[in-house]
Amino acid sequence: MFALLSVQLIIQLLINGILFGAIYGIAAIGLSLIFGTMRIIFLAQGTIIILFAYTCFWLFNLLGIDPYLSLVIVIPMAALLGVAIYASLFTEAAANEDRNISLLIAIGIMFFLENLMTVLWTGNPRSITTPYTSFVVRFAGIGIPFTRFTGFIMALLAAGVVVLFLKKTFIGTAVRAASEDIVSATLMGISPHRVNAVAFAIGIGLAGIAGVDMATIYPFDPFYGFIFVLRGMVALAIGGIGSVEGALLGGIILGLIESLSSFFVPGGWTDAIVYLVFLIVLMWRPEGLLVRSVKKA
Amino acid sequence: MENNALVVKGVDVLYGDVQALWDVSLEVKQGTIVSLVGANGAGKSTLLKTISGINRARKGEILFSGKSVTHLKPQEVVDIGISHVPEGRRLFASLTVLENLKLGAYPPRARAVFGESLTKAFDLFPVLKSRQNQKAGSLSGGEQQMLAIGRAMMSQPTILMLDEPSLGLSPILVKTMFDLVASLNKQGVTMLLVEQNVRQALKIANHAYVLKNGRIVMNGGGEELLADPEVQKAYIGERWRKK
Repeated sequence: MFALLSVQLIIQLLINGILFGAIYGIAAIGLSLIFGTMRIIFLAQGTIIILFAYTCFWLFNLLGIDPYLSLVIVIPMAALLGVAIYASLFTEAAANEDRNISLLIAIGIMFFLENLMTVLWTGNPRSITTPYTSFVVRFAGIGIPFTRFTGFIMALLAAGVVVLFLKKTFIGTAVRAASEDIVSATLMGISPHRVNAVAFAIGIGLAGIAGVDMATIYPFDPFYGFIFVLRGMVALAIGGIGSVEGALLGGIILGLIESLSSFFVPGGWTDAIVYLVFLIVLMWRPEGLLVRSVKKA
Repeated sequence: MENNALVVKGVDVLYGDVQALWDVSLEVKQGTIVSLVGANGAGKSTLLKTISGINRARKGEILFSGKSVTHLKPQEVVDIGISHVPEGRRLFASLTVLENLKLGAYPPRARAVFGESLTKAFDLFPVLKSRQNQKAGSLSGGEQQMLAIGRAMMSQPTILMLDEPSLGLSPILVKTMFDLVASLNKQGVTMLLVEQNVRQALKIANHAYVLKNGRIVMNGGGEELLADPEVQKAYIGERWRKK
């Protein structure tokens, strides 16, 4: 009896970890793409995820638009916001390749949005309640919450679309090239601004998806976003920066570590363990745990 | 003046406070091979990077077909027909051979004739065709150099600037590389060649410049410089003199 329960419990923990880890994966893919061409960790990524959680919240509360349907509005809106943020705030710093300034701008965006959201929506947690919010599919004693499962599927689809975009389109190939060697890319005729803007469009577009995911699963407040950047960085350390699949897998592994450690070790230790893993991976395999190192041409 | 593809006039380049080029001038006539030789750190790569827009000239002017390109960005320079194969090739290692070639044809003008250029590149380097789906990083040194040149040719350049194409290649491949430069030139591509292999570079050149400590110290016909005792002593060495 106890053994059966344990197996079920372990499976349940694994499922929880995988399902929530996919959101970390989505955040990590966005961070990785922007890092690829801009060479900065875009610290406002998580806060923008929360901004779109609020957008989803507003669309639902004010206009009665279903959260999943709101993706049709949120994704293009987020992609456009990405381009707008790059074009208005980063062009100058990127042209001078001034990464310190770029990083400061990202921090500025983060604090600005946190405080803007506090004014607009107060600091109290918000959440969305739909008929399916607490719907759980159960079989053999294992429960799969519907919203988490949908979030997971959305994350997989989004990652798949990004991979296809990067592999199959000309501009996508240019983004990959620029991530590898920006100088060589400009010698091909690729404009750094163009690829930076595309990276921002995709990265922030993904933040839109993660925001909707977030809004359907958990309550959130304006200051909840930064954790996604931290978790995204850990996911990238695990999965290796520069690969979409690696970032997603890194997020999922991180979700598993979190889920298992939150059950097996006393509360409060989970975060310490997560960042310990981060440090160990950086120490031991700074190119990423899952990366086979590519010979430099 | 009309048959000058590229003119560099009195260019100074600084890296921070350190001056790398002093009042450098050179001319590359349409359809010729011009070699730029000199010791390590003389400023050869700096000059190519300045022409292609990676470095900025503090003073002076660079003209291409009579028009100033001094202030253009690298992506604009390749668009008007100057293609630069940088030192160390700078391939996109994690991208396939075909993807590297595709990006070579990035400027819209080149994209329009992509199929044609690709056939040409594969005719020139059949090995690239058979390896088109391999990652560029998995190619041998010689193959990588071919890919770098093939990629640069995809932009349909009027002038091709090669920085140390023979670097790190075996003696047989070095010969192949110089034969290739000559044959591309015969097909009408103007060449600006930077080389440490001074003897070969001068042999092949219609005209050549010697760069020393950031200044042009000598220039003349390729064979003429090759015969110059000072050049022989400084750059070619005893063992070549008898040949």
